[in-house]
Amino acid sequence: MANYINGDEVRITKVGTCLVDVEFYSGERFEGLEPRRLFPLSGLRNYITLLDSDLKEKAVIRDLDRLMPDSKKAIEDCLEEYYLIPRITAVLNIVEKFGVLKWTIMTDRGERTIRIKNRHSDIKTLYDGRILVRDANDNRYEIPDVSALDKHSQKLLSYEL
Amino acid sequence: METHNFLKNRELPEAIEKKLLEALGKDEKLLFAIVADLTPEATYGDSVIAFCEKRFFVCSDEALREYVYDGIEDCFVKRMYGNARLVFLRDGKKNEILSFTYSVASLCDMAALFIKNVALGEPFSEQLEIVEATYDKLNLVCPKCGRTLIRQGAECIHCQSKSKIAAKLMKYVTPQWKRLLVCLILSIITTAVALFPPYATKTIVDTVIPNRDLKGLATLVLTLFLCYLVQHVISALRGYLLRISGDRIVMELRNDVYEKAQHLPMRFYDKTSTGSVINRISGDSNTIQAFILKITQEVVVQFFMLIGIIVIMFAMDWRLTLLSLIPVPLVVVGAKIFSRKIAPFYKKIWRRWASVSGILTDTIPCIRIVKSFAGEDRAVDRFKKHNAEWYKVDTASARITTVFPCIIGFAVTCGSLLIWAIGGRWAITTNEEMLSLGLLVSFISYTSMFYTPVNFFAYLSDSYQGALAAIERILDIIDAEPEVNLPDAKKVTHLDGRIEFKNVNFSFDKTKKTLNNINLTIEPGDIVGIVGTTGSGKSTLINLLMRFYDNYDGEILVDGTDIKNLDLESYRACIGYVQQEPIMFSDTIFNNIAYGVPNAHVEQVIHAAETSNAHEFIARQPDGYDSMLGERGVGLSGGEKQRLSIARALLKNPSILIFDEATASVDSETENLIQEAIERLISGRTTLMIAHRLSTLKKANKIVVVDQGKIIEFGSHEELMALKGKYYTLIEIQSLAEKTNRARIEAGV
Ligand SMILES: Nc1ncnc2c1ncn2[C@@H]1O[C@H](COP(=O)(O)OP(=O)(O)OP(=O)(O)O)[C@@H](O)[C@H]1O
Ligand SMILES: [Mg+2]
Repeated sequence: MANYINGDEVRITKVGTCLVDVEFYSGERFEGLEPRRLFPLSGLRNYITLLDSDLKEKAVIRDLDRLMPDSKKAIEDCLEEYYLIPRITAVLNIVEKFGVLKWTIMTDRGERTIRIKNRHSDIKTLYDGRILVRDANDNRYEIPDVSALDKHSQKLLSYEL
Repeated sequence: METHNFLKNRELPEAIEKKLLEALGKDEKLLFAIVADLTPEATYGDSVIAFCEKRFFVCSDEALREYVYDGIEDCFVKRMYGNARLVFLRDGKKNEILSFTYSVASLCDMAALFIKNVALGEPFSEQLEIVEATYDKLNLVCPKCGRTLIRQGAECIHCQSKSKIAAKLMKYVTPQWKRLLVCLILSIITTAVALFPPYATKTIVDTVIPNRDLKGLATLVLTLFLCYLVQHVISALRGYLLRISGDRIVMELRNDVYEKAQHLPMRFYDKTSTGSVINRISGDSNTIQAFILKITQEVVVQFFMLIGIIVIMFAMDWRLTLLSLIPVPLVVVGAKIFSRKIAPFYKKIWRRWASVSGILTDTIPCIRIVKSFAGEDRAVDRFKKHNAEWYKVDTASARITTVFPCIIGFAVTCGSLLIWAIGGRWAITTNEEMLSLGLLVSFISYTSMFYTPVNFFAYLSDSYQGALAAIERILDIIDAEPEVNLPDAKKVTHLDGRIEFKNVNFSFDKTKKTLNNINLTIEPGDIVGIVGTTGSGKSTLINLLMRFYDNYDGEILVDGTDIKNLDLESYRACIGYVQQEPIMFSDTIFNNIAYGVPNAHVEQVIHAAETSNAHEFIARQPDGYDSMLGERGVGLSGGEKQRLSIARALLKNPSILIFDEATASVDSETENLIQEAIERLISGRTTLMIAHRLSTLKKANKIVVVDQGKIIEFGSHEELMALKGKYYTLIEIQSLAEKTNRARIEAGV
């Protein structure tokens, strides 16, 4: 059964890129665990699994926000390193040539031009209104809220969604 | 300064290149470099990893670091989510030296392998060759669209086509051109005839009635009668002809899409739902047919109509004509706004519809599962929800499609009021010469006729857009890269069965590496057992050998020839493949066995069934070999299906036999039967057997152990047992389990 972590019964310290040590107050201790989301799309702050170097699960954090501040920060930093899903803040240009979409986008990581092979399978609208985009190299991008984008971006997107 | 030629994926940023060159020793040369796309802070930015013979550099705008190969114990790419790191191990310590997105991940895979192998002392020039091959492949992209080409100089299937949608469609129109031409002529006749009645009205009102000319009246009525007769007879004839050509077009289109769909690679089906493919074959081809007819017929007809009416109207009265032209700009502008508003809807509606039909194709074939989990209500709910989504979008678009034309239509009708008002005024207040009553009446008729073609052309771009969405989806299939057969591919009728995997790397998508540097040689006549935990990549290995996926790195050779150079059909015909899930068609048992060899003799089929121990149970069926199977083999047990699929593979008399868990879902007695069958089969052929139950592999003379996409052990049973590695533990676990089982049974007795 999953070893659930509810709240303040552990201390978690970051020890490397995407690596944490986990110390339960009961005395149990794990070193070099890798936090990963069990629900990378639908649950960003819930159910974080902690895997050892053989990818065996050692514990699952139920809710990030119930951890102690330091532990929470450690996990957040690791997740930040592990998951690179640039948020699209503006769509600058969309051209379609020979069936390939070329989007020039501004993201929170900088500007980039991406190629999208198939608008039907690579652009997905989730139920909460977020839009996920996958480029030709299987990189992921996210638009958290289309209506928060500027007019120009919205107009460009309206043809694709 | 001397020029520096080295392999690279794109031009290095100038500052970085300068820094690198300065760091080089006197006789040092850069061999290759990779421009990666993430800074250490995980924002987009260039950093470069560059390789020399003795050391390599990682250079970004801020810093230049150098590393030597010596002492590196391991080097690999750590894939995270959306980004990855190049990591090497020295003195047991991990060093992360480079961050990048998946865009350069496969290049960095190669770099990692290079670093590792050079550090381990593999011959340097050999390693460099692998690197060169990888860069060569990198350049195998279409210069126009950036898609990967199959080989050097190949024509990009996408670029040569999608740019010429019209040309593509003409392929379906040209065979019909005679019929379509006749239709066109017929419709021009009807159009011309349709122009006459208003003129007749004028004559009746202006001359016949005032002059009480009964004879003239009779002539006119008769002429009108003939007009109407011609009009309707011709349009019936034309409708029939059009229907024929339209059906032909849609039939050809459907055939092509279906044929194409058969030849699409597995890669396509991994990503596209079968529902959307079915939708395209059944629905979109109809949309396109309607559009083709519209373009080839209506456009010409409406154009003639427009010209004809304008000429007549001007001839009758130029002032009224100008008056009636007033609403035209309104129509044009209105239509522009309309098509801008409606354009996004076409794709939206289709997407919603695709998800509705996706549920159909998902749940209806799996109705057993739905029922067994009492999921009917949930299925209905889900269906309703998606259907409601579709409804929402469709009705939203309906508001536009119905309201807009209404407003425009209203404005146009008001335009004719203008003619009544002003023309009527002229008719009342001025004398006959200025404007006769008949002229006014017939003019009004022409005006209303005039707006049919105007509307048509105004909304043409809109219907074009709707059709374009459908065309795009069809071309998605028609233009998708099919499984490739090189033009000079070698046809084979027989294989000796020597199989070699050379440095094969494969991933279904770039997020995860499924097969990692596979090297394997299988001699003719070998019986090779493939074992490993679930998900380790055994079936994938077979998928590559079957050429279901072509986008792997490295080479797979059969009898010394790269399988990519073999004629696909003839190659696959030489391989008997019994899949992990036995799949049957809804056809008779006989036809299911004879699927690979449609013209097989009855006795051959029976023989195949006998050899695979299927004959007995078939004979027990009331309908014997004629038993009709339900969809996907409903009506047979799992083991029975498995035996049929073995018979099917056997009938091909293949040179290479592949069993993927052929005895997975049967009891041990049936397993023994199947085992016997297999043993009868495999003499003299190269055989690959994937098995979880290791007892199945008694006959195997070689065992391959696959673990997490790598081959970790390879050798005979005895060798691997002596190795005391993974295979040894697997055997131990299984025999232990068997022993306890037996003990339990004995204790129970
Ligand atoms: N079409 C696919 N797209 C993406 N990933 C896939 C696909 N098919 C298989 N995989 C993944 O590739 C890995 C290897 O799968 P494979 O089917 O080769 O395993 P296997 O060794 O045959 O397992 P089993 O013994 O259960 O049949 C698995 O992790 C699986 O999730
Ligand atoms: Mg398998």
